[in-house]
Amino acid sequence: MLAITLFGFAGFAGLCLSMERHYSDLLGHKATPRRLRGLRIGGWLLLVVALWLAVLKSGWAMGLVELFAVLMAGLCLWVFVLPYRPKLLLVLAAASVVLGPFSALGWI
Amino acid sequence: MKSKAAGLPLGYRLAVTSRCLAALVGGYLLAAMASVCMGLLLPMPKAEAVITGMMLSFLFYLVAILWSFACRTAAQAWLGILLPSAVLALINGLAYWMNTP
Amino acid sequence: MKEGFRQSMAWLHTWAGLVFGWLLFAIFLTGTLSYFKAEINHWSQPEIPSRALNSAASLDLAQRYLQTHAAGAGSWFIDLPSEREPELSVSWRPAGGGRGDSTQKVLDPATGSELQARDSRGGDFFYRFHFQLQMPHPWGRWLSTFCALMMFVGLITGIITHKKIFKEFFTFRPGKAQRSWLDGHNAIGVLVLPFHLMISYSSLVIFMALVMPASIAVSYNNDTRAFFSDVFGIPQSVKATGKAAEPLPLSTLYAKVQEQVPGARIAWVEVQNPGDENARVRVTRYSGDRIAHLRGGGWLFDGVSGTHLSSDFADTTPMLISGGFYGLHLGEFAGPVLRWLYFFFGLAGTAVIGTGLVMWLGKRQLKHAKSGVQPFELRLVEVLNIASMSGLILAVAGFFWANRLIPAFQEGRADAEINTFFLIWGLSLLHALLRPGRKAWGEQLAVAAVFYLALPLINAWTTGQGLNHSIRVGDWSMAGFDLTALGCGLFLYWAARKMLLPPVVAPKRAPKVAKAAALIESEVK
Repeated sequence: MLAITLFGFAGFAGLCLSMERHYSDLLGHKATPRRLRGLRIGGWLLLVVALWLAVLKSGWAMGLVELFAVLMAGLCLWVFVLPYRPKLLLVLAAASVVLGPFSALGWI
Repeated sequence: MKSKAAGLPLGYRLAVTSRCLAALVGGYLLAAMASVCMGLLLPMPKAEAVITGMMLSFLFYLVAILWSFACRTAAQAWLGILLPSAVLALINGLAYWMNTP
Repeated sequence: MKEGFRQSMAWLHTWAGLVFGWLLFAIFLTGTLSYFKAEINHWSQPEIPSRALNSAASLDLAQRYLQTHAAGAGSWFIDLPSEREPELSVSWRPAGGGRGDSTQKVLDPATGSELQARDSRGGDFFYRFHFQLQMPHPWGRWLSTFCALMMFVGLITGIITHKKIFKEFFTFRPGKAQRSWLDGHNAIGVLVLPFHLMISYSSLVIFMALVMPASIAVSYNNDTRAFFSDVFGIPQSVKATGKAAEPLPLSTLYAKVQEQVPGARIAWVEVQNPGDENARVRVTRYSGDRIAHLRGGGWLFDGVSGTHLSSDFADTTPMLISGGFYGLHLGEFAGPVLRWLYFFFGLAGTAVIGTGLVMWLGKRQLKHAKSGVQPFELRLVEVLNIASMSGLILAVAGFFWANRLIPAFQEGRADAEINTFFLIWGLSLLHALLRPGRKAWGEQLAVAAVFYLALPLINAWTTGQGLNHSIRVGDWSMAGFDLTALGCGLFLYWAARKMLLPPVVAPKRAPKVAKAAALIESEVK
């Protein structure tokens, strides 16, 4: 469940950053359209990986339930902490991208 | 939207009441008719058809409620609910009559 | 209502939300508590010790107890302990007797000796309240199901009304009065939408045979029993022959079940005609072993020979779907992490309703802010808002206080707990009537904060099972309750402070964010 949480969280962070407004708010500079598209594709890819991991580990029924639960929880964390601690969330998102694969492989 | 309830004309209030009744009573009627129809006509074992009908009936209820408040006049609200209900009732009657030996 | 589709849906959202919001808030809050029903049960009966689980041993202990105390009964029922609730309870009723004739005892799952636990409805009170509303059958179920339909309508109309569901998907702008409330309302509604939709639609599915029985009436000629036996397979009961026979130990049958489905958790065992040649044992699996919640699943054994007679797991697609909705709503399959998430999403649902009610009022109060005089209907909504939200939170705490403060073995104490709950709720309404809005909010939240913060202390003082004890012995249901009470207390303290201190003008935030916010504002307009 940790792995899908990390991938899901990172995925939504990517999708959030792929919106021009949030990107410039969070990172302090304008994004090129190419970067935004990259973030959008990357975000969706991470979400697909999260789905794949969830189904692989727990089957369709339980996997989908777990996936939805951790995605919703991660989103709430992201959206409601964003105005207060944007830096912290960026660090968390980056850490999720890095730690996600290790967690999926069962190393942590 | 209507902050001064006291200032609203009687006609408007009656129309809203009528729409509420159409949504609640008419909507229930439509949902019940739809559930009966599915219970009788869905091509699966009886218990399963009944369960499916009951489960989906709430979507009919939902649409009926939305319709009651979305359409232009209260009369339209009733018409849009009672007409399909009547059609479903007719189908139900026929199906029931053909099923009963 | 004439202005167009989106406006009419906004109108419906506003008014359906107002009229049913108060009741929905109570249903959602008590329903959320019900995700920890077993833990609350355990907390409210601290006399039942938490033991290491051993279902087979518990079954034999229960059987031995019943053989001594209920040898001539028509049927026995054994409710096994689980990881979450340590209670082993047995009950029996005479042959041909109904539910009302049964006798129930609570046993120590490790020794089989009778336990004297305080009489309390515990978590079951909140569980029952959230769909029966303390009303006579079937009115409470009808009303709560109708509220669920209104929640469903509110969600759909909310989605239709929300103009920028994707554009503002990640948006929350605090410190901006009404705008922040709307942002919060939208964000909790949209981000947790799958849960909200599931929970409200599944409530309709759970009671569909009660509220939408027309198709049963037509397809089964008004014979509801025939429908249920078609769906669940009503078990055939066998007559006792009158000849005594040595029964098999129940643990043997438990082992047979484990052979068939390794790791299956057993919740419930029923013995028909115990001690007779024709004894039948029905073993029911813990419904949390899978997501779909289906009645009638289990194994039927001959209680003397141990022959496996039948196991009925009829899974057809419509039943799996309806059972799936049922199971998702109850969340019995959820482990600790998922259960906590369920709890938080339940709170999110409660918060959506609460913020909606607050916004309805706030928007209209603004228009009267200058004159300082509130029209009657706004004052009414304000009082009801306060009593239904902070009042209920206070009443829940009052229930727990009553559980610890009413002497453990006083007559009628379970009812006294419930009366305390409603008494405090009533008093909060009175208080809201007498005090100005913001003060009433703040004072009730402050009292609630004290109530919740003190709960662990009262628990330690009256039962000796405070945090120091429960953490040491690893009784995490008990410790979790106390810690959650502390957490709630701290949150309520924060909320009460916000209400009681004079409202501060939001400090200027970083210019960059402010600029962006202004930009967003201009987009909205």
